[in-house]
Parts: sequence; structure tokens; C-alpha cells
Amino acid sequence: MRLLPVRKLLSSAPRFWRRTFLLPALLAAAAELSAASPAYDFFICANVNRNYVIGSKIETTNGLFQRDAKTSEWRHFGYNDTSISAVAFDPRDRKVIYTTTLNGIWRSLDGGETWRMTNSWDMTEGRDVEVDPHAPDTVYFALPDGVAVSTNRGETWERRERGLPERGKYTQTIAVDRTKAGRVLAGCEKGVFLTENSGHQWRQVLPTETTVNDVQQSPHDPKFWLAATESDGVWVSRDGGVTWMQFTGVPAGKAFYNVTFDPTKVKRMAVASWARGVWTTEDGGKTWMARNAGLPENARAWRVGVDPNEGRLYASIFQETLYYSDDFGRTWHPDALEGSLVNAFLFVPRN
Amino acid sequence: MTSLLSFSFPRFISIALFTGLSAVGFAQASTAVPSRVPVESLDVRRTQYLQRAEEMSQWRMSLYADDKLDKMDMSAMSMMLSRGLNIEACNARVLELMKEPGTGPFWMFPTTMVAYTGRDRLSTEAKAAIRDAWRTTRQLRGDTENHWVMYHTALYLMAQLYPDEPASSWANGLSSTENLAEGEGWLLDWMNLTTTIGQGEYNPTHYIGEYAIPMLMLATWAEDPAMKQRAHMMLDWIFAELATVTLDGMPRGPNSRTDDTSVVERWNALATYFSWQLFGNVPSGEGYAGWGWGNYFAVLAPYYEVPEVIYRIATDRKHDYVQHDRARSRRIWRYSDEHMRPIYKTQYLRKNYAVGSHQGGISDPIQSHVWDVTWAVNDPRGVHNTMFSMHPHSSGKVMQMFFCTFPEPMPGGVTYEGKPSYDSANKLLGCSPYEQVMQDHDTVIALYDIDPAEKFPQVNGFFSKDLQDVTEHKSGWIFARGGGTYLAYRPLAAYHWEPHIRYPNGRDPTVTEETGGRILVSPHVKNGTILQAASADEFASFAAFQRAIVALPLSFELSGSPTVKFTSLRGHELSFRYGSAPVVDGQAINYDDWKLFEGPHLNSDLGSGILTITHGRLGRVLDFNSLSITDMVVPQTR
Repeated sequence: MRLLPVRKLLSSAPRFWRRTFLLPALLAAAAELSAASPAYDFFICANVNRNYVIGSKIETTNGLFQRDAKTSEWRHFGYNDTSISAVAFDPRDRKVIYTTTLNGIWRSLDGGETWRMTNSWDMTEGRDVEVDPHAPDTVYFALPDGVAVSTNRGETWERRERGLPERGKYTQTIAVDRTKAGRVLAGCEKGVFLTENSGHQWRQVLPTETTVNDVQQSPHDPKFWLAATESDGVWVSRDGGVTWMQFTGVPAGKAFYNVTFDPTKVKRMAVASWARGVWTTEDGGKTWMARNAGLPENARAWRVGVDPNEGRLYASIFQETLYYSDDFGRTWHPDALEGSLVNAFLFVPRN
Repeated sequence: MTSLLSFSFPRFISIALFTGLSAVGFAQASTAVPSRVPVESLDVRRTQYLQRAEEMSQWRMSLYADDKLDKMDMSAMSMMLSRGLNIEACNARVLELMKEPGTGPFWMFPTTMVAYTGRDRLSTEAKAAIRDAWRTTRQLRGDTENHWVMYHTALYLMAQLYPDEPASSWANGLSSTENLAEGEGWLLDWMNLTTTIGQGEYNPTHYIGEYAIPMLMLATWAEDPAMKQRAHMMLDWIFAELATVTLDGMPRGPNSRTDDTSVVERWNALATYFSWQLFGNVPSGEGYAGWGWGNYFAVLAPYYEVPEVIYRIATDRKHDYVQHDRARSRRIWRYSDEHMRPIYKTQYLRKNYAVGSHQGGISDPIQSHVWDVTWAVNDPRGVHNTMFSMHPHSSGKVMQMFFCTFPEPMPGGVTYEGKPSYDSANKLLGCSPYEQVMQDHDTVIALYDIDPAEKFPQVNGFFSKDLQDVTEHKSGWIFARGGGTYLAYRPLAAYHWEPHIRYPNGRDPTVTEETGGRILVSPHVKNGTILQAASADEFASFAAFQRAIVALPLSFELSGSPTVKFTSLRGHELSFRYGSAPVVDGQAINYDDWKLFEGPHLNSDLGSGILTITHGRLGRVLDFNSLSITDMVVPQTR
């Protein structure tokens, strides 16, 4: 899950950022408290095709969906693409959207009405995308063969891979530190890598045997980061991603596909695993529990995410449907999007 | 469009094709087994080539005759448009099909073919509907090399057909100029890779169509003379390889990619269509079953002329020969030190059989076929004319090397995506990191050192329903006859037999049928197979062959790294230890020295971009540096 920064940024944010983003967000948060109006809009990247293979006819609607706060229905917008993997918005202008897909990276400047494939043929199979909130013209693009960076809102891209291993730079996930421009963590085949100069130089901060599938920054404490890995378990950093410790309460050995924080409660986190389903902690990671009761048998959890409006935990179960839980995994209820894979959850402060 | 872009058949072809074809008739497939004597007359050969293309086209069009025109597919439509037939029906069908455009390369290239064959014949409305589909519908580029060939070819040609149009008129938000450059950029890179370090999808039993058809489209329709020439040369390149890797027109191992059917019924593959079309040395099937995309080649077949030298290589079975080639693996994203792994192919071709193998490890995680002996049969239809062994490897980790995926979903998922056997113990398709192979002429030694934690810790050997006189000899050898070929198969560990099954529906792994063949299952992780083939006419009797094999010096050790020492029927001392370079007559094989192609017919230095194709006195040189084709006839010497 990606939660665009709101609460911790005010003091360090540039003026435009404060004016255009933080203040409205805080106002929205205040409005939430007083009128129970959602402070965040909820987006997902969903593939609703079971067993789609290249050449098959796409008979369903895939891509970006936004939850309608009033009806709780999912509204599709943008294109129909079975291969969407991630989405990011320009914090200055919600109409500027970036998505990664099999073809590469697409940008819309008009809220999803029209799109442009901004990559060339040698930068494809995009895995993830993030916009630097302190330098919103700068966009980071995770690729199976490295990292590309655009400094002009996706008009052009350049590879910035110095410090990444020549073999081992498969980059599944990329996350911008909201506290400092140009500070970015990348989850790669051989670990977590950190840059503090917008990708010009990377260094390994967490070595792993296999791919790091997700890296997330806490919405409560910007120094607190989580990393979900393929075979090395779930890791935590309390110093901004410089040093890492493994959570011992959650079993390693099987892949964790992603990790999420609960923005409404400091110590709640959840992870998704094909083999182990959904696991949660409510004490900051000291103890973890499997929370699969009510999910399909042998639930193959694809992604989890938490709605910051109400602390609702969502789980995408492989080609089943989207499920939600209002008690952080103790009970589950089926939502819409039968047959789907949700590849990303994103909550964006309401305009 | 301008007249420069107009599409019409060459005049001499038009006369041949259109005489008496004022309406679509019902075609009858010529299912007879063809003579395999090379056709000497160029004119006769050309006429027969065109007749086969016409036969295929007539058959395809006949499927949509009269009251079925409203259901016709894009290949039949392209054929009709080329001939000026049923234009109103084509207009209506285009308008119908474009209401729900498909996505991805398998929609793009057929639509491109309709756009070009119909550009002077379709109505303004129909052409606008095609054009609008490219404005409104996003196209996926796919995840495999053949997808990218189709995708970029279609992108290139459509951008060429509608030049100077703005980004807003294309679904990917790029202008015509940008799309043309995008397509060209990828195509040039692929051509350069292929002609310098080898094909990624080498010897495919089906995917040859996905390469040959786009290249023929470019060779026919590209306006840029350089692209046109490159595409023409790539066609020669692809078909020269086809000529050397087919036995009487049938594909054989090794294959970068094949499938559960054609890995045993070698004839039953799209590659056979190309042999039939180009060389006429293999029979077609009832309804041309299994030849799928071949239809699209038939549309443009008149625009390609099979070079004499390639035809001769394909149809000459007088001489035995060894060919050593290089290829490359599918691109490896992770969990490997190599971005593309070099693949080394050894092929030995004789009149009655062929033995082929690849060394170098996994080249494709799902559909590779590492080695086999395939024997010739007069009528190969329905015949399982091959023998091999393999380790049934199933691994999410290996999938991850080649695809952007998590470890768990793919092994099960692909079994519903046309690869039904992938996650089965008794499969016969695929390659394994725990198999290493050496080949010398018609001897293969395959060694296995399988991780005991593997899901299927066993070796499977294929014993066809069409083998005769299968004999489990007390020596440990298993003897059999396949056509005019004697086969000796030596499992190095204990085994049992299981029935061979087929999958009638490639997208449902739960439905299977027994074929009458058997699988030799050897459930031991330290293992090996030795295979020795010979022509029946080399021996006075089958018994004499068996005696000769039993007399061959053989020793092996399975503890530690499996090791074999074997003196082959050809008198070569072969020594092979798992994890070490194979040794032939005391000399270790150094694969690093291998050229891109090396043999009596195909030769190319690694990295050169130059392929020399020879047969007897004939030669053709494809030079991708100068974009030149040079034909040679060596003077006859007294």
C-alpha cells in the first residue's frame, strides 16, 4: 500500500507543497474527524482476468479503479490493461498520473482520459513507479533490469544504476522517502538499495538471497520502514532504511508479496503471502498472527492494504475476489472484483 | 494512399492464381505423401510453391463460403481482399470486428495484414474503423520474443500506412513518426542480436510462423529499402535454419520451444507447414490441422522466392552431416549471472534419422526440448517418431528468472495457458538445470544430478507407440526399431513403465488420454541415459545391431557426479562427467570456440553478421553489415 504523506511533512515541506498539498490534506483530515468524510481517495490497480495469456481476448475491465466513497462501488477509469502493476500521482496535480505496465510506463496529464507510453522499447515490463513529493518533476521507475529516472515528469527517462549490481538489479519496488528529496529505497533481487542523490549513486543497505518484493515507509514515523522479501522474511528499519532487522515473529522461507501499515493505528501492520495468507501484528511487530479465518481455504494472499479513512484492512486473494476486514483480519467479508488480482493499493489525500 | 503503396500481386502470379477463381470454391487438401525427390526445374518448383499457397488459401476461404462470410477471420479476409473477392462482405466484417478490437500482437499483425491487403479495396468506412481501433485500443507488447516481433512489425507498418499523424491518433500516445521509430528500433536490435549471437527462439516447432510472417510482411510492404532488404534477408536466415533442422520437412530436436503434442508427434507443428509450403517435402493434414498461423504466410507467399541453395539443403538427404550452431537463451531477468545464456546446438542428420541436442542449460523455462533422435517415416502424420529422456523440472524460481512473476503462481497457472503438462511428473516437455547432455554424431549421453528436494526427482524416457521390437536386454540396454532406424537406449538406474498420456485440450490439464506409448520412469536423482542410433541398413539384422551395442565398452559411476565412459558405435571414446566438459577421443569440447554456425551448409563467425549458406556448388551470402545478398555458383572442376 502506498499512502501519500500528510502528517509529518509540514515542517520540512517547501512552500508550494504546503500550500497545494499538505494544508488541504490536513484540512481534509480535520474534516474527517468532524464529519466522517473520507480524507483519502482509494485507488487500486487490478487485473480482473483469470488465466489471461498474451493473445487471449480481454473480456473484462482492468487497470485503475477508484472506490466511490458514497456507494462503495469500484469505478474504473483510464485504460483497459491487464498488466498494470503500479500507479502514482503528481502531488501538485491529481490529473497527472503514472502507471507501470507490461509495455513500460504510461503518463496521463488529464486524469486518465488520454495516455502516452513514455518509455522506449528498451525499458519495458515496468514494476513500480513513485513521484518524489519534494521534487514532483522527478519520477522513479522500477524495471526488471534496473531503475530509470525522469526529471521532467516522464517526458524522458535515463537509467540511474550506479551502485546497483550488474546482475541483481531486478527492481520490484521503489519507494521515495517523504522526508528528503532524492532519498529513495529500491527493493531489488539482491536486497534493498538506498540512494540519497536521486539515483545517481546507490548502496546496498539490506542484502537478501532473493528478491525484495515490497518496501514501505510508515505513515506514522518516517524513520520506520518495512521490507517484504521472497525468502528472507519481513524486515524492519528504524533509522530511515540504513540498518535493518528481521522480524522473527513472522516466518521466513516463503515469499511475502507485500506489506502495509495501518495509518490509523501506529502498531498495526499486515503482510500478504501466497503460501501463508494474511499475517498481522498489532504490537509493532513483536508478535504476528495468521489472519485467514473467513478467507477462502488456503488463501493465496496477493496484496494487502489498509484504508486510512477507517482502518479497514483489504486483502486481494489470488483470482478470487477482494476481501475486507473491519477488525484487522479477525473476520473477513468479500468485496467486489471477483476473479481479480489487485497489484497495488493507493490512498491519496482528497482534493 | 498513394499509388506507391498500392497492393497488388505480381502480374505473373495473378494470372496463375485468379484463373477460374471468380468465386470462392471449396478446396480439398492435397493429403498425399509427396515425392521427396528434389524438383529440378525452377519453373515447376515455383509453380508448385504457388499452388500450395493457393491450396492453403482456397481451403481457408472455403471455411467461410457463402452464408458464413459474416464469420470470416482475418486470414480469410486478407486472402479475399488480395483477390478482390467478396469486398462488401469484407467491409461488413471489418466493421463488425473493429467494434471490439483485440489486444496484443496476435490481434495486431492480422489486423495489419487486413489493413494492407485492403487498403485499395476496403470501403472508406472499413478503413476508418481499422484506423480508429488503433486510436482507441491499447495494445500489449507481450512478454516473449515472438510477441515483440509481431508487435513491432505491426506498429511499424501501421505507422507507415498512416504517416504524419499526431500522437492523439494512436492509443499509445505516440505520433506516427514516433511509432515508426519505436518499431524500427526494436526490430533492428533484434535482427542485430540474431545475426551476431544467435536466435533466442531457435528451431521452434510452432513459433517460426510468428517470425516468418512478420518478416514477410516487412519484406513486402516496408517502404524503407533498408528495412525491406533486412526483412528479406531475415526470411532467408530463418528458412536456411529450418532447412538444416528438419528431417524430411519435420521439425526435430533440439527446440527452443515446442509443446506437448509436437514433442512426440514431430510432424504436428507449424514448422511443418513451412516445410510443406517452401520445400514440398512433407504431407499436409486434413484441414491443415495444427498449422494455425500458416494461413497468413500463404497470403503473401507469392512475394517470397525460396533460394535454390536453401531448397537443396532441405531436400537433400544423400549425405550425413554434423552441424554445430550457437543460439541464445530467452532473456534472463534475475537469479543468473548471465543476461542471455549461450546455447550450443549439435545436430547430426542422416537419411533415416536425425540426432540433435543443445548444451548450455535452460534456454526457455517451460517449452524447451533438449535432445532427441527422430526417425524418418514415409507418412509421419500421427506417428510418434522420436525418442529421448528428460528430467521433469517444475519450478517457480526458474520461472522468475525469465518472467516478472512471483515464485508460486506460474507453475500451476501455465497449465491452463497451453502448457498443460508443466507441473506433472510424467511430462515430456521442458528442460532442467539438473540435466547435462553431450552428443557425438548419433550418440547422446544425458546425465542427471537432480536435487533430491526437486518436486519430481525422476528421469522420464519416451518410448513411442510406434516403436517396434522393444527389447529389454539383460545387459541393461533397451533396443527398439523406429522406421529404418535401430535404437539402443541405456538407462543408468532402475526404472519402471508408465503409460504415455496426451492432453486433448491444451488449456485443461485435468483431461488426458493414453496414447499407447510408454514412459520409462527412473526415480533416481543420480541418473543418466545413453542413446545410440544407427541405420538399419548398416547391420545384417536387428540382432546384429544388438550384439554390436552390447560389445561396446561402457562404464559408469552414479555416486558423486554421474560419470560415463562409453565407446560409441562410431568408434569414438566418449567421457562425460556431470559438471565437466565432455571429452571426445581425449579432447575436451570447448564450446567457447564454437562459431555461430559451422557445418557443411551454414557458416557464420560469431558476431560477424554474415551467414554463408552453401550446398554443393551453390552459395548465398547474407551480409547484414552491407545489407547485401550475394549468390554464388562455384565453377565445376574437372
